[in-house]
Amino acid sequence: MHSLVAESLVLCSTTNFDTSRLDAQKLRVRNLEYKTVRLAASPELLTECEREGLSWPRRAARLVRRMCEAEKPYIHPDERIVFTRTTPSVPPIYSPEQWKERTDGCTLHELGPISNICANWGNVLSQGLLERRRVALETRQRLTGDSEAIEFLDCAIETIDAVLDLAARYANEALRMGKSEVAEILERVPALPPRTFHEALQSLRLMHAVVWMGGHYHVGLGRIDQYLWPYLKEDLENHLLDIAGAEELLAEFFISLNKDSDLYPGVQQGDNGQTVMLGGQTQDGRDAVNELTHMAIRVALYTNMIDPKVNLRITENTELSLLTLATELTRRGLGFPQYSNDAVVIPALVANGYDPADAWNYTVAACWEFIIPGKGMEVVNIGAVSMPLAADQAIRAGLSAHETFESILKRTTENIGEQVRDLVKSYSRLLLPPAPYYSVLMDGCLEAGRDLSFGLKYNNYGIHGAASSSAADALAAVRSLVFIEKSVEPEELLHAMAANFEGYEALQDRLLHEAPKTGNDPEADELLVTLFDALADACDAVQDNGRGGRVRPGTGSAMYYVWLTRGKPGDCDDAPIGATADGRKKGEFFSANLAPSPQAQVRGPISVLQAFSRLNYRRICNGGPITMELSDSVFADPEGLEKCAMLVHIFAKLGCQQLQLNTVSLSTLLDAREHPERHRNLIVRVWGWSGYFCELGPEYQEHIIARHLYGD
Amino acid sequence: MQSGTIFDIREFTVHDGPGIRTTVFLKGCPLRCSWCQNPEGMSPIPEIMENPSGKRIVGKLYTSEQLSSILNRQASILSDNGGGVTFSGGEPLAQAAFLAEVMDSLGNLHVLLDTSGYAPESDFRRVVQRCDLVYFDLKLMDRKAHIRHTGVDNSPILRNLSVLASMDIPFVIRVPLIPGVTDTDENLAAIAKGVNRLSGLIRVDLLPYNRAAGGKYSALRKQFCPTYDERRPVHVDLDVFETAGVKVRVAGTVQK
Repeated sequence: MHSLVAESLVLCSTTNFDTSRLDAQKLRVRNLEYKTVRLAASPELLTECEREGLSWPRRAARLVRRMCEAEKPYIHPDERIVFTRTTPSVPPIYSPEQWKERTDGCTLHELGPISNICANWGNVLSQGLLERRRVALETRQRLTGDSEAIEFLDCAIETIDAVLDLAARYANEALRMGKSEVAEILERVPALPPRTFHEALQSLRLMHAVVWMGGHYHVGLGRIDQYLWPYLKEDLENHLLDIAGAEELLAEFFISLNKDSDLYPGVQQGDNGQTVMLGGQTQDGRDAVNELTHMAIRVALYTNMIDPKVNLRITENTELSLLTLATELTRRGLGFPQYSNDAVVIPALVANGYDPADAWNYTVAACWEFIIPGKGMEVVNIGAVSMPLAADQAIRAGLSAHETFESILKRTTENIGEQVRDLVKSYSRLLLPPAPYYSVLMDGCLEAGRDLSFGLKYNNYGIHGAASSSAADALAAVRSLVFIEKSVEPEELLHAMAANFEGYEALQDRLLHEAPKTGNDPEADELLVTLFDALADACDAVQDNGRGGRVRPGTGSAMYYVWLTRGKPGDCDDAPIGATADGRKKGEFFSANLAPSPQAQVRGPISVLQAFSRLNYRRICNGGPITMELSDSVFADPEGLEKCAMLVHIFAKLGCQQLQLNTVSLSTLLDAREHPERHRNLIVRVWGWSGYFCELGPEYQEHIIARHLYGD
Repeated sequence: MQSGTIFDIREFTVHDGPGIRTTVFLKGCPLRCSWCQNPEGMSPIPEIMENPSGKRIVGKLYTSEQLSSILNRQASILSDNGGGVTFSGGEPLAQAAFLAEVMDSLGNLHVLLDTSGYAPESDFRRVVQRCDLVYFDLKLMDRKAHIRHTGVDNSPILRNLSVLASMDIPFVIRVPLIPGVTDTDENLAAIAKGVNRLSGLIRVDLLPYNRAAGGKYSALRKQFCPTYDERRPVHVDLDVFETAGVKVRVAGTVQK
């Protein structure tokens, strides 16, 4: 109750519309009321697929058609943007035995279906599905002799017809309920190009939801403030809509993205890749920020839900007022917006073979990987190089053989190369299933008569360089204590690591507190640069990934920083790496994304940004954010908010690539209380002082927690 | 070259002065305020803090060159963003010679001194003349009460305050509001009266007491012995300052 009151107070200051109608919608989503309209079961497809002896592409198309047909139109009386998913799951199109046979000897990416890409939503909206259908038919006539193309195009048309039929049934339901506005809109879209902002949002809602129904996941939405802006601009100019009315529609669209998200697969609930990208530049390098950019952030502040996940493209010239507004969103503790720096990302994409015209239009995949809407069938997450493993093996081998530090570094580089080669090799028989409906939404598939699974303009792979700071710190400790100071004998360090530092506490203390650390000391930062250069070299050495693409190195960790420490879930082996030379004991966490090691106490965000600004980002274009946690007290007053916006500006000015700011949340505090070793850097500020949360007495921790529980 | 003992260097301290700042915490303080929240700032020598996440030594010796080189690495970022460096503690003036040498190596960085004002006048002048802004704590105007709650006489503090007003350096008076101790009508009125004509005063910041003040004591094996009732609500009175013509605000929020 308390939080609802507090929230509604904030609402008044962010959005301009009367929120009562959408407050009720939000409440329904949060209470999972939409689940009650779900059907008991999804359609069964195997029987008919077998009976008709359907090919894989035809099964994929049939799946979309049957799922659309099975949808029972549901419109809540207060809705103006409709579609609520009622099919509870995506049924299989092959039996488990058939699936095993079909995929035998091949590598599937994650769950199998095409995922983690972004459609050219702007293009599909502006054409309308009927025009896409006409293009398909035209190509069909041109390629009459090409049976594979004919089959693909027939499949694509089958899915288009299914979506149009679903829209028609929703229109009928709206009419039956006397909702003529909704009915009128659905009689037009997604068949035809939208005439208004409202029609555009409705069209997008339906077309996007159907992608999920085809078994795809991590379905991004791309640069909504660019491709939806023409519709809104015209409405505003024609006085069909005012700002408040537009906000209300956009908010309803955002809420709708949360209705069905419990049905979406992901590593964790909420890991569903419904990203939007805001801001950035136009093709000729002008600022692309418009009224809709601001509006989308204001609306996200109002909705305060995990979807869509907001990304913001900035440069050092981005207005501080926009950054301050975005910082308001950070304050909510949802972990977005995530910022990317156009001045760094675009040149990196161009340097990696992207046409400048495409590079300027980049968005992100589910997490942070830079991709081009409509033009990329990229697999940006084929795996992660374990940087700590590469360094640890080199350190152990090099010290045992009494080698120089340069030799240890060379071994590290070789280990990274070997891991990259292994990962690429494991994807040499990648099997991408046909995706006829997704192909409708991409550039060139209908025009060429080819399913997107055969590849699009960009077909690169991405590899994360995981837990990099921990690796750099281990190397830095060895260089500093063993080779420069010569105060630790190689054998002593090896024994200490083998003993997990038990009986070697004094040495561990020196490794932890005297040795240079990434984020604090240039000596360690420099080694981090070396590690990523090695990763980039290894990726460059893979001329062709087997799909006509390259391998892109990145700086993220995804879930690998946990898996590298604890082993992959379900894998009962011991943690793959024992104690490491940076003083970390076996089982303790590694660094995630670009962040200092959890064991290192760093001075703060300026040093961290300076450290990570040194990377050669032109060679590293798979993305991966600098990740920082800020205390909620930073955001306590307008001055703090503005300073946080200035911090984002510093990020851009220093030439860093990507940034994710998190605010300390209650769950973090609770976890810190249970597992202080994971949160040594967690700072809470109380009155005129800052303290490390884990160093406070239990009663004081309780106090801080209570403050988060009950507000101020 | 001078050396000094530092117990923390912390960046992006948004409540320690204008713009983007880095705060250096100098170790050692002559005062023993019973509400002190930074007990690791009291002793001038390094000591061990032990807590559930392990042991660490607080306090590290830096030469003035080592410290200034860390700060100078980010000087342009701090300056470009309206900020600079804040020296806090402990009581930074307890290491005045070191502090002055560090400040002299900082180029054009904006420098803020956060002080209790308790120092020999010569040390006070020597450091303050190198500052762009001073945060000056005023706790209790009554001498006996000051001795009782902070362990020291307030006359050197009051003398330095008048020195400060003569030095043409802008300053902010900071008043920790300790329930029943510093937040009384008499004390606040005395402070308002004591500062309202001082030249260079920007404003008074009131810092309401927060009950987590004693949080770090157990890690240092020290006893937290407040000379007041922690549970008593803080009395925040802006009027007494405003009627005296003194600009006043409550710093940050209650939690700051």
